Amino acid sequence: MAQMPALIPKEVEIQRLKKLWLMILALGSIAASVEVDNFVDGSLHQTSIRDSAFTPAHWWLYSHFIALPLGWGACAIYDRKVPILRGPNNSMNTGLKMTILGYLATMFTIGVNEMWHFWFVEEIFSVPNHWMFNMGVVVAFIGALAYVVRIYARLVELGAETPGENPYIAEMYKMALEGKLYSRSIP
Amino acid sequence: MTLPKGFGSGGAGGSSSADVERMIGKRVENMTGVITIAFWAALLATAAGTAAGYFYYPWAYPTASGHFAFIVLGIIEAIGYIFCVKVSEEGSNKKSNGILTVSIGGAVIFVLFVSMFVGW
Repeated sequence: MAQMPALIPKEVEIQRLKKLWLMILALGSIAASVEVDNFVDGSLHQTSIRDSAFTPAHWWLYSHFIALPLGWGACAIYDRKVPILRGPNNSMNTGLKMTILGYLATMFTIGVNEMWHFWFVEEIFSVPNHWMFNMGVVVAFIGALAYVVRIYARLVELGAETPGENPYIAEMYKMALEGKLYSRSIP
Repeated sequence: MTLPKGFGSGGAGGSSSADVERMIGKRVENMTGVITIAFWAALLATAAGTAAGYFYYPWAYPTASGHFAFIVLGIIEAIGYIFCVKVSEEGSNKKSNGILTVSIGGAVIFVLFVSMFVGW
């Protein structure tokens, strides 16, 4: 397995990757909470017309849509201490970038949504002001998955985690670490 | 290995274990206390948030609905708490199964108490 060159001591890198992972676990719990509130908000809007922005289902949703970009922003600040996680041209990691952009979209959609509802009180799921909530979350989840897999692969590479015992899964990890997971035909 | 500015022997390239420890700071395996406090803070905030719902907005957020949300969120927070402690302590000699058991057990009792006796 090709070992990437280390720019910081291995023990330091493992500790920093695990600290990032703990932050991501906490943010994952918040994201799961948002998914629960999707159902709470949806069931509320099937039974009552919107009368205020400050119904409990909305506090819950909106507070999380502010906490998530801030939390992932904190991850981005800490991420700079792990050189291997840098993105193209020493920029922010691409997965992390997508996650922050996705959640920022949801955060700004709070305002867009309130403006729309100033005129139209219908809370149908598919109205345009809700699109950016859903698209933002999807983009954020895709980015977060890429970022988590990158951290996990690096922990495997450093010997701090054990890859799957299934030989096919182990082979996938090996190819991912060699950058060949998505193009088997191009060496 | 050359260490970042401020660490090591002034550009000579050597790194001691003291330098490595200084770069690490607080080790993740010693964070169980902080993680436990964070879990309880999250659980109490969830209880307060759902209670604000069914006490002030009962028309929009009936007590049963609030308790259901509280139970589901308590489970999500407990899973996150267990994962955090397990991730932080893996590969070390630390074992905090006692703290985990007491904390999760206390959380179950607290969630059941709130669900059965508060807001009805």
